[in-house]
Amino acid sequence: MQEDYTYVVLADDDEDDRLFFVEAFEELKIQTRVDIYKDGVALMDALNVPDSVLPNILFLDLNMPKKSGLECLIEIKSNNRFKDIAIAIYSTSASEEDIENTFVQGANIYIKKPSDFKILKKILSDVVTINWQYHTNGLDKDNFLLRL
Amino acid sequence: MMPFKSIYYSERFLKIIFGFSLFMVLVMGGIAYKHIRQLSRSTADVQHNYEVHLELEKLLSALKDAESGKRGFIISRDSTFLEPLLLSSLELDKNMEHLKFLTKDNPEQQKNIAELKAKIVKSLDIFKKTLDLAATDNLNSPEFIAGFREGRQTMNSVRFKIIEMTTHESDVLGTSKEKSSKNISNTPMLLYYVLILSLLILLLTYLQNSKNLKVLKEKNELLETFKKSTTQSEIISKHGNWIWHIEENTFEYSDNLYRLLGEEPQSFEANLANYMDFVHPDDVDKLTEQVNKMMENEDLPFIHYRIIQKNGSIKHFKAYGKLLIDSDGHKKILGTTADITDEIENYRLIEKRNLELERSNKELSSFNYVASHDLQEPLRKIQTFLSRLEEKEQDHLSNNGKVYIERIKSSSTRMRSLIDDLLQFSRTNRSEEALEDSNINILLETAKHDLVEIISDKRARISSDFIPSMKVIPFQIKQLFLNLMSNSLKYSRELTAPVITITYSQTKASDLPKIKYSKHNLYHTITVKDNGIGFDQDYAEKIFILFNRLHNKNEYSGTGIGLSICKKIVENHNGYITAEGDINNGSIFTIYLPLS
Repeated sequence: MQEDYTYVVLADDDEDDRLFFVEAFEELKIQTRVDIYKDGVALMDALNVPDSVLPNILFLDLNMPKKSGLECLIEIKSNNRFKDIAIAIYSTSASEEDIENTFVQGANIYIKKPSDFKILKKILSDVVTINWQYHTNGLDKDNFLLRL
Repeated sequence: MMPFKSIYYSERFLKIIFGFSLFMVLVMGGIAYKHIRQLSRSTADVQHNYEVHLELEKLLSALKDAESGKRGFIISRDSTFLEPLLLSSLELDKNMEHLKFLTKDNPEQQKNIAELKAKIVKSLDIFKKTLDLAATDNLNSPEFIAGFREGRQTMNSVRFKIIEMTTHESDVLGTSKEKSSKNISNTPMLLYYVLILSLLILLLTYLQNSKNLKVLKEKNELLETFKKSTTQSEIISKHGNWIWHIEENTFEYSDNLYRLLGEEPQSFEANLANYMDFVHPDDVDKLTEQVNKMMENEDLPFIHYRIIQKNGSIKHFKAYGKLLIDSDGHKKILGTTADITDEIENYRLIEKRNLELERSNKELSSFNYVASHDLQEPLRKIQTFLSRLEEKEQDHLSNNGKVYIERIKSSSTRMRSLIDDLLQFSRTNRSEEALEDSNINILLETAKHDLVEIISDKRARISSDFIPSMKVIPFQIKQLFLNLMSNSLKYSRELTAPVITITYSQTKASDLPKIKYSKHNLYHTITVKDNGIGFDQDYAEKIFILFNRLHNKNEYSGTGIGLSICKKIVENHNGYITAEGDINNGSIFTIYLPLS
């Protein structure tokens, strides 16, 4: 980590969710930098700028216009420059199909958007402080979906 | 087949007998003809003999006349006595000629006749000499006496010769008579035997024939019955038969084939051209090609084509033909044509329904998506904003406001569980691929793990038997245990720690009234027993119905979907589930899954 903060990026088309996300990090008092993108296209454009600073953790909503979260995931995983980005799927649904697909494509964790702000804060705090090295080594389908 | 075979063989037998009989009759005719010929020949022989006899007799009598005439003349000198003499010499010549003709086949008699003639000529000479001497009155001359004596001697020798000839002729007749009589006496016997034999053969043939006729009659009746039942089955199963006689290139159509074409039976001549008139214009080429192939290969595989009846309705036909070579070696193709219009229409209907089903399934799954995503999203936000309100604005709310927020919270929680359960229900589908050999004990433990909080809250005790592994859809069976156990925990009695007992056994299908006639013999039987509030047994069936609740939702939180999901899961596994309730004592849920 070049800086003493965690660089977090969220791509989500839902305004309310973006608001919750930002507010949660504001209340968490963790040293983070949070960037928000409105859709997959905006996200990929930013990431693809040469020499851009890459996020430590990328939160991906699945259901987005123009470019879906799954498409972004595939694109990121096919580019070696992004190999160190931890990818957290951040979605309303937790259908077996979505979990299966994103797991196969190499996402690191699957978060179902909670309906309680306190839980949201806990999730985000946990995710940011996860030892990704350790988590990724022992990753399987059962611990892929984050349960709280 | 056997009687027909025996008839076939007896036909050969009859042919042989007929040939034999014909031969016998011919032989009989031949023998009869021969014998009649012989008979008439011997009659002719007798006739001939008689004629020769008569002629010789006449000859002798003529000579005798001449002799007596001579004697009369010598005594009386009356020349009238000489008249027979003159006549007889003429007569004699005629007689001699006739005799010669009659005996022309007999050289000995010819010789005899020549001798006789010489003797007669000599005798006539002596006659003349004697008469001349008598005319000159030299009756006492020695010459006359010598001549007279010589005349008498000659006359005697003529008579002897005639007797000799007569005897000879009789002898000839005798030998031939003896010969023919021997033959003739044998003839009737032989004919009689042959006749008897022929009659016997005829009788035998008759018996065989009448036996065959009886068999044939029976077979004919059978054929008649068969024909009628064929006609009947043709009408009922909507098919018609046809025969193509290959060598003559002629066709025969059954009555029902005409009916299938919408025509009166046998109302037009059965031939290809007439048939082709009915075929749908689009199918004529295809059918013609197939028929040509049939004529080439003497075989007709299944073909499908359409025809148009005169009233305009289009029918789908299917035809098939097979080569048959009959006992006479004639080749024919036996064909069957079936009207499959109904089948095709049904098939199309099913196809259409399938498409409709597919479409509604797609709609259902898109509804699922809407429910899972779009419906949940606003609800989640409502809940999140509520949690923000509670946390951040708690101090600015009146007590009433706080109560309202609590109410909104519980309503949205209930809505969430409804959505989740409904989704769960609609996702509980059957798919063969998902079946896998699973350790049911592990699935049960996983389900328990999901309930660990409420189990510890309620101090519940759950015990279970060892359950053998089965081929199941694992996440569904886990869901089944989860729903049943959470049901037991939810409807537990107040102040009583819930006790859930899960047992395993095997049951014979024959002992289960509901599945007595199942294709499976044995069933895994898993029971989930609790000590909860139970329920009235009258509702045992009802509790599995979607959205059916036995309790007010204020008393117990339930969506009325959980047990419906259980039922659906068990049915997905070809099993069934029953419930037994005892109010205030608990309930028992029993799951039967086929043991494959």
